[in-house]
Amino acid sequence: MPDTDALGTIQPRAPIRQRVLWTVAGFGTLAAAAVLLAPLAGSTRIHLGTAFDRSIPYADNVDAQIFFVARLPRVLAAALVGSALALSGVVFQALLRNPLASPDTLGISAGASLGAMAAITFHIEFSMLGLSSVTIASFAGWLGALVIVSGLSMARRRGSSAVVLLLGGVTVHLLLSAVIAFVQYLADFTETFRNVRWLMGSLDVASYSPIVAALVPMAIAWAGFATLPRVLDLISVGSESAAARGVNVERTERIALVSASLATGAAVSLAGPVSFVGIVVPHMVRLLVGADHRLVVPASALFGAAYLIACDLIARTIIAPLELPVGIITAIIGGPVFLWLLFRRA
Amino acid sequence: MAALSTRVTLAILVVLGLGYGIPKTVRLKADTTDTSATPKAVRVKADATYASAAHGVAAQELPRRIVSLVPATTEMLFAMGAGPRIVGVSNYDRFPPEVARIAKVGGLLDPDVETLLSLKPDLVIVYDTQADLKRQLERAQVPIYHYLHRGLPDIMETMRALGARIGAKPAADAAATRIEQQLAAVGRRVAGRSRPSTLLVFGREQGTIRRVHASGGYGFLHDVLELAGGTDVLNDLHKQSVEMSTEMILTRKPEVILELHYGNSLKPAAMDAERLVWNGLPSLPAVKNKRVYLLAGDEFVVPGPRIVVAAERFARTLHPEAF
Amino acid sequence: MLQVSDISFSYGRGRAAAQRVLDGVSLEVRRGTVVGLLGPNGSGKTTLLRIIAGVLKPESGRVLIGGHPIEELTRRDLARRVAVVPQETHSTFDFSVIDMVLMGRYPHLGAFELEGASDQTIARDALAATGTTALELRPFATLSGGEKQRVVIASALAQASDMLLLDEPTAALDLRYQFEITALLRSLNTERGTTMIVSTHDLNLAAGLCERVVLLKQGRVIAHGTTDETLTAANIRLLYGVDADVQYHPRAGHLTVVPIARY
Repeated sequence: MPDTDALGTIQPRAPIRQRVLWTVAGFGTLAAAAVLLAPLAGSTRIHLGTAFDRSIPYADNVDAQIFFVARLPRVLAAALVGSALALSGVVFQALLRNPLASPDTLGISAGASLGAMAAITFHIEFSMLGLSSVTIASFAGWLGALVIVSGLSMARRRGSSAVVLLLGGVTVHLLLSAVIAFVQYLADFTETFRNVRWLMGSLDVASYSPIVAALVPMAIAWAGFATLPRVLDLISVGSESAAARGVNVERTERIALVSASLATGAAVSLAGPVSFVGIVVPHMVRLLVGADHRLVVPASALFGAAYLIACDLIARTIIAPLELPVGIITAIIGGPVFLWLLFRRA
Repeated sequence: MAALSTRVTLAILVVLGLGYGIPKTVRLKADTTDTSATPKAVRVKADATYASAAHGVAAQELPRRIVSLVPATTEMLFAMGAGPRIVGVSNYDRFPPEVARIAKVGGLLDPDVETLLSLKPDLVIVYDTQADLKRQLERAQVPIYHYLHRGLPDIMETMRALGARIGAKPAADAAATRIEQQLAAVGRRVAGRSRPSTLLVFGREQGTIRRVHASGGYGFLHDVLELAGGTDVLNDLHKQSVEMSTEMILTRKPEVILELHYGNSLKPAAMDAERLVWNGLPSLPAVKNKRVYLLAGDEFVVPGPRIVVAAERFARTLHPEAF
Repeated sequence: MLQVSDISFSYGRGRAAAQRVLDGVSLEVRRGTVVGLLGPNGSGKTTLLRIIAGVLKPESGRVLIGGHPIEELTRRDLARRVAVVPQETHSTFDFSVIDMVLMGRYPHLGAFELEGASDQTIARDALAATGTTALELRPFATLSGGEKQRVVIASALAQASDMLLLDEPTAALDLRYQFEITALLRSLNTERGTTMIVSTHDLNLAAGLCERVVLLKQGRVIAHGTTDETLTAANIRLLYGVDADVQYHPRAGHLTVVPIARY
């Protein structure tokens, strides 16, 4: 919690160790509750007892299938995607020293979108390992975008890397958006419809293979994220002062960029571009725990998961039996929250 | 203070960006897939507007140079013997084979107005929702036929109205009647048999059960399904197309799944693989009883004379024992 | 304590390297002294500070700190010996003053180590030394320019290094804060014996604060020595192309420089 009122009555603040533990415990509980409770709710009534009843053969057990095929994968997917996007948002905001940065800023998710829409428009059809061609093409798309953005960041001048990265990433984003527009233009009616729907995001994965596939890049990303919290603090105050304090800024930026891109790319390939998670969740978390990244990073991961699970729950129950795309819910909630945060800062 | 206005500017830019981005992704103004408010058998608006009356253009000339932007009306024109009078068709026309030799002028989303006008048409059949195109044609004083379509009966309505408009009334009426009779025959074949609840799938993401779009109890394909002896599993929703979540599919328990593939259809081996995808939901009666069918062909997308073929194929699939 | 030998540096490579930003610069700083680095814009002062801090690598030459070549020191090692006070500090996020100061402890902690009680004590001592104890939990962004600089100096003190590099420490401050910071730095040097290198435009600041000065022009050292001997009208003319009046001011207790005319 922010430790001061108006102008600085000093309130004692717990040591960092305690704050980390409390943060992880608190948000961890929230996330765990979301993962455990969300599959219980939905547009259809099911009986948990029936779902777990081993005596009914699986093929006949509708409740079990609703729980294990329809709901549980999507809750897990929501947790993964929400966590990944929130973490990427935190990292990009610190890396670019810009509180308005989001996982979309550098064009990585535009690359993923381009891959998916190319697959839809040109009927690229090859699926493997239970992943659809759209998911695979989406993966390829963000890999391509990552290569371009990385290349740009390697060619940077010393001392201005954040600016170059930002400019290069925004340019890649604009470029890819133009290519996306072109691909959309080539699409016929049905393909356009599918493209548009893909862009709204969907967590209804209906199986575990895409989740498992997404876990691989996400695990690598998490390993990278784990090394970052303290250095993100230092870098966000200035990359030169960070370097003067012993931070290997170049290496940190590379790890941050690759990890955030891996996480974003995997998330977008899994669920399509879900907006406003990466940009809003970090700010919401900072309101609760303050600016120290050693708190913000784990809290964002956990809160992001819970947040997207909650948004997806709303999306799939609010106009039951039909569903809204989850991207609409995150935009409806995230947009006003973001505006409020902006004006609050000013 | 300078920082304050920067942030406010940024906020405004963000809102503008959103305002641009979100509608951009929902840019299908001409969304004929969600006309849920209208009841099933509505009469099609068989309208033929003429050029501005300022020049007192005579309205009774028989069109000799027809451009049809709607594949369905192209097929109808051929069915009533007016094929030779067609000078332009849409990019999506595939049938009959003669259309390969006719000039292409774009489609619903991207009509090629230049080519269209260069063909000097004396009647252009446009989608009712192509507002921009209609304005341009009116400015060029080209007669327009507004094509509007809701359900199965509208196919015959349109044929008759179009026939009257182009002066081919006897042929058009005969063709329409023939279609009606053929459809009725299909209905008679399956009459009295139990009607399985059917999930009519228009499309889904290839290789998975994601983003399933299915008939929601409205529209010409729904009508054909009902005629062919099946019950639409989403009858109560009255929407032409619904994106179904996995949970919804499981709850509705369809007894038959009909999946339509058109355009660039898959090879047989791929079709088999696609059918097996449904095994991910083993509790569905359709999966248990192995009644998942994939149907390929573009007679399903064109609400024209070939709808009879579509109806027969549906009927054969749902009730093989009746044939 | 610090030996800079024949350092050369240029930005860009090959043809893009228009000219040498630093060309054969050498200087020596003894422990406990306050040295001023003076020179016009583009003379290479900031680049030199960056090289000493290990942020940039020189093309040729060596830098030795406490006898160790800095290439042989790890980044953390170097940070434990040298701390930097930049001209301006902006924090993107809402860090409090104590947060900012505790960041100075980074070189003393392991990769995943969290600050402990001793780090907190050191940080609070640094606040006390800079007179910012009352600001401990205030958000850094809400402070005035002078307060911010004092906090940044505090975080550099928390880094517990023997040497401070200050880049234009008072450039963004008004007269009152200039005075305060100058007094603070002087007292830090007196009480703690902190070695300081101060890069500045402000000749009066240099005169008041620095016992020795190094004059840098177009990447070369044109003069160095004690302030009294080196900060002369002739050298100022050489350095800035300005005719100035250099006088000892009895009340201030140091030289003052007043520019008179263009040279």
